[in-house]
Amino acid sequence: MRPAAAAFVLIVCPVLQGCRATQPGKVQTAVMTKVKHSLFVGDKKMQNPIALSPASVQDGKEAFTHYCVACHGLDGQNTGVPFADRMDPPVPSLTSTEVQTYTDGQLKWVINNGIAPSGMPASMGILSDEEQWDIVIFIRHLPPAGSLGEPSMYGN
Amino acid sequence: MRLRILSNLMIGAVLLGISIADSRLAPADTAPKRIDVLAKRFQFAPDNITLRKGEPVVLVFQSEDVPHGIRFRELNLETEIHKGHASELSFTPTVAGDFVGHCSRFCGSGHGSMLLTLHVRE
Repeated sequence: MRPAAAAFVLIVCPVLQGCRATQPGKVQTAVMTKVKHSLFVGDKKMQNPIALSPASVQDGKEAFTHYCVACHGLDGQNTGVPFADRMDPPVPSLTSTEVQTYTDGQLKWVINNGIAPSGMPASMGILSDEEQWDIVIFIRHLPPAGSLGEPSMYGN
Repeated sequence: MRLRILSNLMIGAVLLGISIADSRLAPADTAPKRIDVLAKRFQFAPDNITLRKGEPVVLVFQSEDVPHGIRFRELNLETEIHKGHASELSFTPTVAGDFVGHCSRFCGSGHGSMLLTLHVRE
């Protein structure tokens, strides 16, 4: 019985450990960022059909507010999101180089398809193509961190 | 002879009456066409409407459930849609083509696929 229990612990514990969300190391982050940019995330050459204007930035901000703030905060920089750095991988700031070096087409692809196995969900069918492109424009013109306050859902 | 003149006068009077009546009815013929559209999670009914270029139209929207909206970006047309209240979009299409409108008020998981297409024909 004791050997069986020991074997059970030896097998199950590493599996359970593997399910824990922990901070990824620098190597893992660097490799995954490179792989996503080069291989996994498509539509690199697709152009945004919506012209940049104050109205389209505002439209993007509104669409972003409906769907994205729970994880990215009102400012796209995780302000007030309590779990942003507890995920594996952590929720990136949308002003980071990792995000901003995606092309417009790739950002739209990520919004539309999500990224597995990170927590980024697909918004295909939930947001229209127009709204997704508007959000891309907003991501390119994010306000200063903290300037929009924190999402009300977190009690602020 | 008198009988013929009399009958001609009567025919003329009848034609004149028809003409006047017709002219009074004429504005109704040129009045904008009204089309009712029902909005509900997650579709518009009807979701395809064919219009004629140059003919004025009024789209009359009502919601069956939650607040919705409709926006035709290319046509610069937008309105909110609420339950129990008709929202109207009055316009005259000036360009032929297909124009896709989207629900402009987030209404849930199928919001992004809630579309209304206008087919404007020559």
